Amino acid sequence: MSGFREAKLVALKAKIAALEAGGRGDCGVLPFGDVRLDDAFIKGGLPLGQWHEFVSGGMEVETCAAPAAFAALMAAPLARRGEAVWILRRDDLFAPGLVGLGFPAEKLIQVCARDEAEALAVAEDALATEGVSAVFAEVEAVDLTAGRRLQLACEARGATGFILRRRPYGGADRQATGTAAATRWRIAPAPSQPEPGMLGLGAPRWAVHLERCRAGRPGAWLMEAADAYTYEAKHGTHPLRLVAPLGDRHLAPTTPLRLAG
Amino acid sequence: MRGVRVLTAVDQVAAAAGLRLGQKATDAMALCPDLETAPAEPEADALALAELSDWCVRFSPAVALAPPDGLYLDVTGVAHLWGGEAGLMADLRARLAKNGLTMRLAIADTPGAAWALAHYGREPELIAPPGEQAALLSPLPPAALQLEPETAAQIERLGLRRIGQLIDIPRAPLARRFGAQTLTRLDQALGRGAEALTYRRPPNPWFARLAFAEPISAPDDMVRVAFDVAAVLCARLETEGQGGRRFHLAFHGVDGKARPLTIGLALAGRDPARIAKLFAPKLETVDPGFGIEVVTLAAEDVEPLEGRQRRLDSLLEADQSLAPLIDRLVNRLGPDRVWRNVPVASHVPELSSAPAPALGVAAPDAPAWNPEQPRPLRLFRAPERLEGVMALTPDDPPRQFQWRRRTHRIALAEGPERIGAEWWRGPIEAVRTDQVRDYYRVEDQDGARFWVFREGLYTEGEPARWWLHGVFG
Repeated sequence: MSGFREAKLVALKAKIAALEAGGRGDCGVLPFGDVRLDDAFIKGGLPLGQWHEFVSGGMEVETCAAPAAFAALMAAPLARRGEAVWILRRDDLFAPGLVGLGFPAEKLIQVCARDEAEALAVAEDALATEGVSAVFAEVEAVDLTAGRRLQLACEARGATGFILRRRPYGGADRQATGTAAATRWRIAPAPSQPEPGMLGLGAPRWAVHLERCRAGRPGAWLMEAADAYTYEAKHGTHPLRLVAPLGDRHLAPTTPLRLAG
Repeated sequence: MRGVRVLTAVDQVAAAAGLRLGQKATDAMALCPDLETAPAEPEADALALAELSDWCVRFSPAVALAPPDGLYLDVTGVAHLWGGEAGLMADLRARLAKNGLTMRLAIADTPGAAWALAHYGREPELIAPPGEQAALLSPLPPAALQLEPETAAQIERLGLRRIGQLIDIPRAPLARRFGAQTLTRLDQALGRGAEALTYRRPPNPWFARLAFAEPISAPDDMVRVAFDVAAVLCARLETEGQGGRRFHLAFHGVDGKARPLTIGLALAGRDPARIAKLFAPKLETVDPGFGIEVVTLAAEDVEPLEGRQRRLDSLLEADQSLAPLIDRLVNRLGPDRVWRNVPVASHVPELSSAPAPALGVAAPDAPAWNPEQPRPLRLFRAPERLEGVMALTPDDPPRQFQWRRRTHRIALAEGPERIGAEWWRGPIEAVRTDQVRDYYRVEDQDGARFWVFREGLYTEGEPARWWLHGVFG
């Protein structure tokens, strides 16, 4: 009896997934190569052919350095496969910095949009272009309509979108009313750990919170760039390395914490 | 003759009254007491002539100015569009007359002959049959050869009043007597020597033109004719194995104005649908006025383009599939808003990376960026001044600083990396030893990583100035 139910559930889940993909085939996943991280996703890796949202807090809302670095490393294997497009509203992205982290910046096409709507339109256009595998866009907010349009553009050719929430010129926060993103990541820089006996800074680290994940469950991890600032980049492995899982303190909604008094 | 006012132009009534060019204004007033004069404006005349030459592009892509009052149109190979040279001339006359311009027209084998016939010919309108310049030029005065005024005057003084007489003189004595220039001008007019015209636009063989029986103005029609004219030009490009990188579309309205539009392609192309699509968003800006009757399209930067066959596995080359996207973005946002960064051989951080066109550029010969030199992910266009910096002198990294009204306590730091100005680029006198920056990569208590530098060399008693140049991810 239970075997029958399980089989039926699997079949139903596959049906729902097929419906969600809009009749298109699965675009595949990009595994991180670490079970602790890949287990957060049902399919065992970052789903491709969808768009992912990266948010941050504090001064990073304006500079958007940590989310950009993290997203670039997450997408580096994709960028090696095809073309990558980065849509900015303030052109302060420094290509040598990306190269140092291990992102192939020579292949990156940068576009400076004049306003928010234009940035989203360019992102949509780039996502639907053959040969483009990853599109980064720095925008203030993505509302439900824009999110849905991005999703359709992603499905057109199986490109993956990385939407970095940034207010490049400050100003008031524009809260998005909802989101159609496959995942939402909150990225904050974390103190690095120099190797014993070494001076200076260690590999860049980030406190990564997967806040929302369609077809998966949220989690929090401490991650670092596996081969930053070196010639000896190991191309086989994912350029992000999981250092340790973090406590789920920030994921309040699941287990509301109540203090006495 | 200074300070003497002379007539530079007379209208028909004045000419009938016996006034002529070059006459002193006082003499003219004496002849015709109620003469109305207006000061000459040579600059405005030149401007009007230039505008007229732009307008004439609808008749021929090669138009040259013949100041002060003439235009050359190279109608080689375009007259058939009007059903012959007579048709072309009739159309040109009708349109100029409609604009209130009087003109003398001549079509001849050579620019020199056409000029002579237009200026000194008996009829206001003349088409010289091919190879019969000499007969038509013979009765004209020598001045029709556009000689220097002194030479022309000398020739006339010697009693040679017709070009025919000059033609009869043996060449050697003619050149000796009146200068080589006279001989050259004669040869050019008779087609025995080549004459180079300075076209306002370089003559462009990649030119297509569509004329409509009825003027059009509906937006849909304009989109359609943009495609149609592109199809005409692209068919020609395809037969010759060429592709264009810039396309100039011009709508010529019934009001005589041209409405130009330009698009560029990242890679040479000749797909009419793609070209029309790039023009489509710009068509909204075109005001058709009372209607468009002619549309022209010219291709520039034409280069050989091999016919391409799609690969069997339908996987396009990256450049091929990316080119339409780049074209759309460049034409929509502007060419300086879409780029690819390439390394530049410079150790000054802000100079080490330069924007290059997104497609179609060869890899630069500068070495790639060194990944072992940590560089920030965001480099500020102008370094931002840091306040409240606490650092040990002379060369310790800061312990604490304030940036954007927030205090950052530094937990880890590495450096310094000293980067000096590129002194070899300026004059030797400007070389200074204190134009250096000592860069430190620092990490604050929260893990945020910054690229800060201290400006100049340490001098005792002077507080060091610190700047933030970028942030690492």
